[in-house]
Amino acid sequence: MEKDLVEYIAKSLVDQPDEVLVHLIEGEQSTIVELKVAPDDVGKVIGKQGRIANAVRVILSASAAKSGKHVQLEILD
Amino acid sequence: MIKEFEGKTEQEAIAIAMDALQLDLDEFDVEILDTGKRGLFKKSNVRIRVYLHNENQTDSDTEDVSNIGEYEQNVIDFVTTLLSKMGYPGFVKINFQTDNKLGLEIVSDHSAIIIGKKGKNLDAIQLIVNVYAGQLNSGVKVIIDSENYRLRHEEQLVKLAIRTGEQVRRNGHSKLLDPMNPFERRLIHTALNDMEGVRTKSEGEGLFKQVRISIDDELPPLRKE
Repeated sequence: MEKDLVEYIAKSLVDQPDEVLVHLIEGEQSTIVELKVAPDDVGKVIGKQGRIANAVRVILSASAAKSGKHVQLEILD
Repeated sequence: MIKEFEGKTEQEAIAIAMDALQLDLDEFDVEILDTGKRGLFKKSNVRIRVYLHNENQTDSDTEDVSNIGEYEQNVIDFVTTLLSKMGYPGFVKINFQTDNKLGLEIVSDHSAIIIGKKGKNLDAIQLIVNVYAGQLNSGVKVIIDSENYRLRHEEQLVKLAIRTGEQVRRNGHSKLLDPMNPFERRLIHTALNDMEGVRTKSEGEGLFKQVRISIDDELPPLRKE
């Protein structure tokens, strides 16, 4: 669910959608979503001053609000 | 489709026609049936006949649905998919459209969470959609709304500005508003632009600055905003 969402957003923002990898680390109360994209695309998912990354985080937590779980997004580079 | 209109002058008849059909002048042809010039003193109305170029544009309800371009459909599909992947399915329609703006309306049972606290979620969705849409057509800004939130919010901000302005003018103490984005701050500045005796200034760094409303002590400001 969260994985699908992050994958969908990331793939629609980057130049190399095939390089998008999303990995979930599920904990008891929280989930960490790890996002990996092609090196050239990292800036595209972070944005100026992290604006895009933060928007994705907001969307993610809105989506997770239903299950009451805490979701964290980490962008790996 | 052919329709007839009347007016005191040719221009007035055309204006009435444009108003009644909700169309621009270039969207129909005008034929003047009766110039109204009967005699020196007896002037009757000018009658015109209007020919519409595009049949399906006459019905304003179906206008949006009937000619959605590829770009618009693409953006709408993106928003719809995004919402369903968030777990809050809804449907998306065009609210308004100009040369450089595309207004979309989300209709969903989950609009409360889609809007979020102070429109936070709506803003985040709008930002992502704009990044996506910018790849397709960078000249257009997409504005996403649900339940008319943006209009209600704007009215609220203007009311807040005026209320706070009056308060500051009454008791002389300046007041710092909550952090706002540039668009919201602009609304505050404009709302108080005409109010005598108070002035506004943004404080802080970054995207979200705070507006301070203080009394105008007649000294010219050092730096204009």
